[in-house]
Amino acid sequence: MRHTNKSFLKQKLNQKETIVLELKNLHAEVEGEGIEILKGVNLKVNKGEIHAIMGPNGSGKSTLAKVVAGHPEYEVTGGDIIYNGESILEMDPDERAHAGVFLAFQYPVEVPGVTNTTLLRESYNTIAASRGREELDPLEFDDYIREKLDLVEMNPDFLERSVNAGFSGGEKKRNEIFQMAVLQPTLSLLDETDSGLDIDALRVVSDGINKLHGEEDAIVLITHYQRLLNYIIPDFVHVMIGGKIVKSGGKELAFELEEKGYDWLESLAKVNGEAK
Amino acid sequence: MGNLTKAEPSILHNLAIHAPENTPQWSNVRGKNLKALNSTAFPHRKIEEWRFTDLKPIERTEFVPLSEAGVLPATDIEKYFIPESDRSRLVFINGRFQEKYSSIGGLGKGVTVGNLNANASHETVSSYFDKLVNYEEDVFTMFNGVMFEDGAFIHLEKGAKAEAPIQVLNLYTDASKPFVATPRMLVVAEEESDVTIIEDHIGLSENRYLTIPVCEVKTKKGAHIHHVRIQRDSINALHVSRPIAYVEKNAEYHSYTITLGAKLSRNEPRVVQEDEEVNFTLDGLVLIDGEQIADTHSVMDHRFSHANSHQLHKVVVNGSAHSIFNGKIFVRRDAQKIDSFQENRNLLLSIDGLVNTKPQLEIFADDVLCSHGATIGQLDPEEVFYLQSRGMTEEKAKEVLTYAFALETIENVKVESVHKLLIEEVYRYTKANSVEKVTA
Ligand SMILES: Nc1ncnc2c1ncn2[C@@H]1O[C@H](COP(=O)(O)OP(=O)(O)OP(=O)(O)O)[C@@H](O)[C@H]1O
Ligand SMILES: [Mg+2]
Repeated sequence: MRHTNKSFLKQKLNQKETIVLELKNLHAEVEGEGIEILKGVNLKVNKGEIHAIMGPNGSGKSTLAKVVAGHPEYEVTGGDIIYNGESILEMDPDERAHAGVFLAFQYPVEVPGVTNTTLLRESYNTIAASRGREELDPLEFDDYIREKLDLVEMNPDFLERSVNAGFSGGEKKRNEIFQMAVLQPTLSLLDETDSGLDIDALRVVSDGINKLHGEEDAIVLITHYQRLLNYIIPDFVHVMIGGKIVKSGGKELAFELEEKGYDWLESLAKVNGEAK
Repeated sequence: MGNLTKAEPSILHNLAIHAPENTPQWSNVRGKNLKALNSTAFPHRKIEEWRFTDLKPIERTEFVPLSEAGVLPATDIEKYFIPESDRSRLVFINGRFQEKYSSIGGLGKGVTVGNLNANASHETVSSYFDKLVNYEEDVFTMFNGVMFEDGAFIHLEKGAKAEAPIQVLNLYTDASKPFVATPRMLVVAEEESDVTIIEDHIGLSENRYLTIPVCEVKTKKGAHIHHVRIQRDSINALHVSRPIAYVEKNAEYHSYTITLGAKLSRNEPRVVQEDEEVNFTLDGLVLIDGEQIADTHSVMDHRFSHANSHQLHKVVVNGSAHSIFNGKIFVRRDAQKIDSFQENRNLLLSIDGLVNTKPQLEIFADDVLCSHGATIGQLDPEEVFYLQSRGMTEEKAKEVLTYAFALETIENVKVESVHKLLIEEVYRYTKANSVEKVTA
């Protein structure tokens, strides 16, 4: 460590308390197949921050989000995931959800036969119980849920429909953010929530996300389009290529990417890759 | 088909000498069936129709006549009563009519709810009883025709609408020796009449018995019948059922069969179209576990133009249970404009479970729309993960998904207490089977 003066140390300590998510040289592969997808990801996300991850198709963005949420299809082969100061590698996906991790899926899964309300009441109450919040009785829950519907301007009819079954692409995405609103996570991983939303929907959903975001939670959003970042303004933008974060910057990086594409960073990815 | 007379007499052949006596009103029926039985061999697995279903549990059980089986009385019968049927209930214990638990005559004039013995001289009984049943070379229907003690008789006069569902409750009691019961049912709905029937088979203990219910249904012009069949036999019981329904012009017959019990069950529902413009359903839900074998062989016989038919057969298999489905759809040569849907969906929860499925379409007309499909799958790991990411434990997620899979088939059961009861049964099954690890 080069800086040893007191004020720096103090800053460090404070920061530690505010770190929501820290990925340390995270490696992950497809379980049982030996295909490595994440090749040493480092990332630090503090309370109150919004991080955007961009990068070409197939670079590992969704995999990263799923690994943090605990998808059993992937095996962490190196490094660590620190959430609120503790490693969560050994936790099941539901335990991570209880601890406040939320993944809005790039491709939300259809669950025929399970209504949105059933899912949400079940989820809300288990999560509330484990986070020390009060459980809501059906009437209170109804009021609560309606308020959240308004937030994303979703039609109440969707409550009694099977989760995502027959929903349009955009409706599924909106439903994910609706769930986020209901569950009030500490860490939201939003995987291409903007893809599939029409222009008006994008505005509504973004407004919703902005309202949900506060000092105590953090958001990591994965997107291909700079446009989303006009609505949801990120504190940091990261570029992921070949299973690693190869460049980080402020929101201006998104404009640069929009203009130049990823080619100019590919070489950076290689150099970094060989240097390790 | 060549299986006549050559085989040795089976346990059913041997038992047939114990046919009920002092029932002169049925002597023709018994005589005819005895003759047929004595020249028909017990089926075996070399016959295509029985390829997957081993009948050894029947052949090797030393069944005795009911009078020698040492049957215990039934207790707590009332808890199986559905409240909607308080004025319209028929109760049978081991195939014998129980007048004191039954409630007849409560549905008013046009509706007869009674037992066959008391209605033997009813014109409808003489016209239809044992004449609708049509199962080729089938020792089980023949045996029933020789041995039946009594049966349920439901008749609706022209235009009569049964204002409450009719419950036909079949209870089977514990006994020191295995016995055979032969319940019987005749339902005739005259023109423009309407009725809902809840047929329930319940084993009160875990003993071995064989029940062979034979049910004949006639749905005349413009009549509507809803027929819910619940099989909750003892876990060691053997159940071979033959429900057959005929559907006349503009008539509708909708049946929903829920299979939960029995060690071995073979259910052969059939619907025969008798004129144009009909609508029928033959849905099924099978939830099995352990060593259970549940076999459904169905026939939907489209003989005239303009039919709408629907068959959703859903199956959940756990443990080393085994499900067999053979769904025949016939569309005869001149039967045009048929819209027929058949789907068999199987959810396999365990490694050792087994599913055989065979949709069988035989279509001889050209202007028909027949969709059919069969799937065998496990719970989708993506669905499990999705629910887990929303805070459900893996166990709970699997339970919810299994429950959701099964529930679809009972949504059309409109009698409230029965719908509720079935939901509870589904819930109990999914709870009890909180599911071996899904292999992705
Ligand atoms: N289960 C799997 N089996 C095999 N390959 C996989 C599996 N999961 C992911 N991959 C591969 O890992 C790479 C990263 O996939 P991922 O979905 O994380 O990309 P992404 O960055 O989200 O892409 P996009 O922008 O198209 O959504 C891809 O090449 C993908 O094919
Ligand atoms: Mg992706």
